[in-house]
Parts: sequence; C-alpha cells; structure tokens
Amino acid sequence: MAGELASPAAPPRIARGSSRRVAALRLLRRRLIQAVPLMLGVVVINFVLIQLAPGSFLELMTAENQVSDPATIALLRTTYGLDDPVWLQLVKYIWALMRFDFGFSYRQNIPVIDAISVHLPATLLLMISSITLALAVGVAAGVVASMKVRTFWDTLVSVAAMFFFAAPSFWLGIMLIVLFSVKLGWLPVGGMATIGGTSAGAGGVLDILHHLILPTLALGLFYAAIYARVMRSSMLEVAQLDFVRTARAKGLSRNQVTISHVLRNALLPVITILGVQMGTVLAGSVVIESVFSWPGVGSLLFDSVSSRNYPVVLGIMVLGSLVVIAANIAVDLIYMWLDPRIEIR
Amino acid sequence: MSSSNRVTRRVFGAGVVAASLAGIAPAGAQGTPKRGGTLVATWGGGEPQACYVPAGGGSSPTFSSSKLFERLGNRTMEGKFRGELAESWKPAADFKSYTIKIRKGVKFHDGKDMTVDDVVYSISEIWKKYAAASALTDFAGITAPDADTVVMTFNTPIPEFFFASLLCGNVNYIVPKHVYAGSDPVTNPANNAPIGTGPWKFKEWVRGSHFEYVKNDAYWRKDLPYMDRLIIRYVRDPAGRAAAMEAGDIHIGVFNPVAPPDIKRLIGTGKFVATPKGYEESVWSTTLECNMRNPVFAKREVRQAMFHAIDRNFLAKTIYYGYARPGTSPIYSPNKEFYTTDTFSTAFDPKKAAALLDAAGYPKKADGKRFAVNLLAAGWFTENGKIGAYVKQALEDVGVAVNLSVPDRPTSIKRIYTDYDFDMAISNQANPSEPVPSTTQYFTTDGIKKGVPFRNANGYSNPEVDALVEKIKVETDPAKRKALVFQFEKIITVEAPLLPILELESITVASTKVQNHSNDPNYLAATWYDIWLAS
Repeated sequence: MAGELASPAAPPRIARGSSRRVAALRLLRRRLIQAVPLMLGVVVINFVLIQLAPGSFLELMTAENQVSDPATIALLRTTYGLDDPVWLQLVKYIWALMRFDFGFSYRQNIPVIDAISVHLPATLLLMISSITLALAVGVAAGVVASMKVRTFWDTLVSVAAMFFFAAPSFWLGIMLIVLFSVKLGWLPVGGMATIGGTSAGAGGVLDILHHLILPTLALGLFYAAIYARVMRSSMLEVAQLDFVRTARAKGLSRNQVTISHVLRNALLPVITILGVQMGTVLAGSVVIESVFSWPGVGSLLFDSVSSRNYPVVLGIMVLGSLVVIAANIAVDLIYMWLDPRIEIR
Repeated sequence: MSSSNRVTRRVFGAGVVAASLAGIAPAGAQGTPKRGGTLVATWGGGEPQACYVPAGGGSSPTFSSSKLFERLGNRTMEGKFRGELAESWKPAADFKSYTIKIRKGVKFHDGKDMTVDDVVYSISEIWKKYAAASALTDFAGITAPDADTVVMTFNTPIPEFFFASLLCGNVNYIVPKHVYAGSDPVTNPANNAPIGTGPWKFKEWVRGSHFEYVKNDAYWRKDLPYMDRLIIRYVRDPAGRAAAMEAGDIHIGVFNPVAPPDIKRLIGTGKFVATPKGYEESVWSTTLECNMRNPVFAKREVRQAMFHAIDRNFLAKTIYYGYARPGTSPIYSPNKEFYTTDTFSTAFDPKKAAALLDAAGYPKKADGKRFAVNLLAAGWFTENGKIGAYVKQALEDVGVAVNLSVPDRPTSIKRIYTDYDFDMAISNQANPSEPVPSTTQYFTTDGIKKGVPFRNANGYSNPEVDALVEKIKVETDPAKRKALVFQFEKIITVEAPLLPILELESITVASTKVQNHSNDPNYLAATWYDIWLAS
C-alpha cells in the first residue's frame, strides 16, 4: 500500500471533509463499543483480585474500633453486604456501576465518588502537564538529535535521555526538591497550593502552577527521555524514505522537509507509545504524589489498598480505566489525523 | 484532686534518653510568648481515616482530634495528674465510686456550654462503648447529682492511679451530646469536622493535604492559645518531610517525622532541635510473640532460648541508629511508677539458647536444624522487616530454621490477631504508665480475643497471672499495687510468652523557633494550647 501513496505528508487526498469526520465517528463508535467489554473485564478482574487479597476492610475497621463482639461483626457483615456470595456481590456492584453508583467508603464515611472526585482533578492535572512536558521536550530533543546526528547535541540528548530514563522517579523527585526547594528556595517542597493562600482567580492558578513544576518534571522527564530516543530514531528512519528524498529533490529547504514531511510521519510511533503509556503515567503518579504530597488519587489509592478500602480501590480502577480508554481513543483520532492512510486499512 | 500528690515519685526517663543522644537539644520555652502567626506541624505517619475516631483509630486520628477535644484530666511532665475539663476528682472511702467536679465556663466550638450532661454522655456512650471499653469493664454507671458534679460508680474498688489514667486516656474526650446523641458515633459526620472544647477550632480538611485549625477565641484558658492558626500537614514520605522542614514549610514534626540519619543532619544546620521528651506516657516497643498453640513454643525453655539468641543491643544500634534500647520487661524503663529491673535475666547468649533448646528436647538433627518456625514481621513499621531478617539469622545460628514473611498492615493484623497464623511474630505496642489493661491484656486469658488486635495473640493462659492481674486491678494501696505489678513482671519475663525486644525512642523534631513544645508526656495527643513561634 505504501507504494501507492505518494507523499503521506502531502495534503490528504484519500479522505477529506465530511468523509473524514464520518470515518472518525465510525472509529469512535467502534472504540466505545470495544470499551464496554474492556470495562467489564477491568471490573471483574479487579473485583476478583481484591477478593483474593488477605484481610478485609471490615476486619481492619473492627480492629481499629476494637470491636470483638461476634454479633456486632455479623451485623456489620450484613450491613456491608459481605454475607452475599462473591458472585452476587460482583453482580450487585456491576448493577450499581451501571447507575453510576460507585458505592460508599465506610472508612472515610463518604460516597466513593465524592472521595475520588476530591482527588481526581489533581491527578488529571499532573498527568496532563507531565505528558505535555514529555511530548514537548521529548519530541524537540529527538528532532534536534536527529538533525545534529553524531554531534555534541546528539550526544547531549542521548546522555540526558539515558539519565532521565534510568533515574528512579522518586529519587529524581527528592533531588529536585533538595535543589530547587531546599537549597535555592525557588519552588515549594510539596502540596498543590499554598496553605492559607488565595485559591481564586489568577493568583490561585499561578500558585497551583508554581506547585506543579517539580512534580511535572519528576514524572514527565522519564517519558520525555523515552520520546526523545524514539523520536530520534524515527526521524532518522523517515528521513531515509523515498518521499523525503523526492521533497529534497523538489528543492525544499531542510527545515521545510524536516517539519512538513519528516516530523509529521516520525511522530506516529511517539503517539502510539503515548497511548500505551497512559496507564503507566497514572501508575507513576502514585509514586510522585507520595514524594510531593500531591493530593491526587495516587495517594488515595495507596491509602485505600493499605486499608483494604475496596470500594474506593475499585472505584479508582474503574475511573482510571475510563481515563486510559478515553486517552487511547483520543490517540487513535490523533493518529488518524496525522496519517490519513489509517482509515483505509 | 487527691490523685495529684500520689505520683510525685514518677520521674520520667527523658533526661536519661536525651543524654544518650549526642547533639539532641532539649525542648523548652524561651522569652516572652509571641502572639499570632501560623504553626505548621506534621507527624511520622499518614492522613487519618477521619479527623476523630471514637475508638481511637490509631495515632493519626488521635493526633488530629486531640487539638480540638479535651479530656477530663492530664499529666504533667513531672508525672502529676491535673484537671483539664475536670477541676478535681475524689474517690469514695471504698474506692467504688469517684466524684468529679466539672470545670465551669467551658464552651464548645459552636458556642454551647459544656455541661455535666455532655460528661455523662461521653463516658457512658463513647468511653464505655468505644474509647475505653477494655478499661471500663467494671463500670457500673454515672450520675450527675448537680450541675457541676458527676459520680462514676464501679462494681469493684478502682485504684486512684488507674482512675486518673483513665481520665487522661488518649481519646477519652468530652464530646458534645447535642451533636452525637441519637446518632451512630462511628459514622457521625461531625467526626470529619469535630466540635470540641479544645484550644483549636476545626476550619477545613483538604483531603490528601492538611487540616486547618484556627484559634478558639472562647477557650477557657484565658488568652490562650498564643497562635492564630495551626496547620496539620501530611507528607507521606519521610525524606519529603525532612525537605519540607529544611525549607521552612513545616515547623514541627512529632513521632519520628524523619529518618534517623536526617535527624542529625537537621540538627547540624543549627535550625532544628530534636528531643525524645513527650513520649513518656506512650512508650513504643517492639515485641516478639511466641504462639503457644505451636507445641514447640508451649515449652518455656524454647521461649527463653529465643530471648538469649537475639542480640538486642545490635538491633538497637544497627536498625534504630541508637534510638532504641533493649527491652527487659513487659513494662518499659521510662515508666518509673511500675518498671523494675528485678526480672529474669535475658542477656544475649547463643550458647545458653542452644543449651535450653537441647534441654527442651530439640537437639540439632543431622542437617543442623532443630525445628522450623514461621516468623511474621508486621509490615506496619519498615524496621520490623529488618528486625525479622536479623532474627532469622540469629535463630538459624542456634539451629532453628526460619521462614520469614513481612506482610502489609491489614494482612499482618489478620494473620496475627485473627487467624493466629504465625509461630513467632514481630509486633509493636504503645505502653502508657498504667499497666491495666493496656499491658496486662497481652498476657491474661481474657485478653485472648480473636479478631481484636493488640491483645493476647500468643494464646498464653496462666491462672496465676490472671489472678495476679485481678488483684492489681482492685488494689487501692499504691505500694502494694506496685509490688503486685513487679511480681507480674517477674513472672512474665520468666514465662516469656511475648519477648520485649526493644524499647523505642520516639523523637520530635522542631525548628528552633518553636517554643513550648514537647512539654506533655503524651505530646502527640496533647492539645498544644501553649505552643508559640518565635520571630
């Protein structure tokens, strides 16, 4: 097929205007349908795994409240539906989920959705900022390295990428704190906002951005390192293809060729990896949130697993899966936009 | 307050501890208190499940709730009992009832007066059912004969020290009846925005980040607290706490906020002090439980051999960087009221351990092993796993094969206290001065309560010990009671169902600007009404 396509970076001739929108909607519909069994799988697997874990939130709750009376414990088991067989608990949970009922967190004494919604925006903000940083830095560094191959800049990008890829994120986070917060005093040590500071208006936004810098660097630089390496090799590979040679033969400048032809095609592997890595970014935020006291779902998940707060764990898993699925659908659409050939395959 | 004069002999061991810690400066007050400002505090653990948990719920909710609520009594650093929300208390001649005079002019944060009704409700509905259930087994009832007096009655004589300690119990707070009556106290929404009588009023809980408390302008101690605002901030990572303190974001951290090497580094900056003061009423220890359900550990010689096989000085120096001491008794050395050195000798002596195991009928077999045990190190403290690794090696040196596991907190609780699924378990205790029931319940038959943590999990049952504890419970003569407790300690160290491996030193780290801190023997659970921040 590739031979039939002239310049992939040239204005798409295969599908335009409304037909591309139809194709995008068709893709979206297909992905959404696929998401249903995927979500069901996520719920069932997580529910079963949680059942297999030793200890339960009821045991921990009665322990912390020094409850030893068997009648009280039996009453609590009934109250929380733990008397039901596991399959029935699962069916009830799925039925509740279909009504957007994520259950109740007995440990925090609030509905699960409330417990998560307090923390979710912080995690989404950290994820988005980290991915944005990773893409911007990684792609730029990869392009520079590929354009300056076997020069000082290429070596610098390779060494930096190796360093940030190898450095554990928690260590990098602590080092950033030591340098920028403790020694230089430029940035806050942790948290999402200045305690007691203004939370409204531009001042509040700037305060959050100020707190966001270090966690974003700690989480994003690891992925930036990956993207830089992938981008460099992808750029060099695409630069060898016939259509690039043709573009050069037409007399286009080096920058025109690089930006309009090579870069766009070289981005495809990065975008692919981005979609795959959405889940790991979410997982990585658990560590970073701990280091920077970032009040996201990572901290909540850690606490909930430690306290066997299963309704919250399941709720986070379900919402996390939704975020990852949504991100992957977005990546598919971006992929389609970058490479119009996608729709004819 | 008749109790006040009974405990003057108590001298806390903090000074001794402090002397052993090079570079650790004492806490204290300097100069004229400065008013206003915000104090940011943290502790060496995570965020609580609720701001206030009626049953306690662990150190985290105790830390957060103790600034908002108050108890009837309190202890001074000199070991004296003093009234807090009670002005005084007095026993009847038969010690079966106590009359408590309630402080006048105390208001809850919502402006309502604290009355005897609140005291009666708190004791009968919260203490009896949740906060002090195991201590109030002989509680018969409570009445309020007038607007300033309540009378607590018991089925048996109650020693004054026990009673005073009860009034000072960690979460034995006076809560507002008008907020809690008619509801389930465990799930009452007010637990996440408490209304108490303390020096600080709840303002906000930013989950995952901090609590914000503000000064209680109507506090009954006139012109206190000094500061306008108290922030309790949660930083999960100890290195993050150290950095936050160094950057000036956190002023004080209680209960081991940073790792031991960071303590000396922070002190080295000249901007911080560290002190072991403030934990005399809550001495933490590391223990090794022997499961008597295993026939091997049913033999006393085997249990004693475990003691002799473990070098506890090595553990204190290597794993705790010197911030621990070998334990020698189920009651620990800071407890000058009841601690005795007249106990069974438990020095490190592997040869003696081997001889005891031989005598118990477990000689080394051809493979060099005597028997195998499952050792569980409770995963709630990182150090427990390290101790487990050492104990495994130490026991293998005397021919005992060890399968070590370090499960997380819920699994550890389940395996130790519900399933009894261990042969030996490394666990921890918090030990207040009064040994009944907090210490004795680890050894008495009625302490065997399946599913209830931090009780008798080893299954030790000795009628002699049970009878002795019953006597300790009702002995009202302080000298006789002390002698009975000493006898208890001697029996327990000989019997060794639970080995007190280490006494742990808890440390508070504070900026040199923080004044009037660590001035309560249970500082984590103190109200911090008089703390202030120098310029």
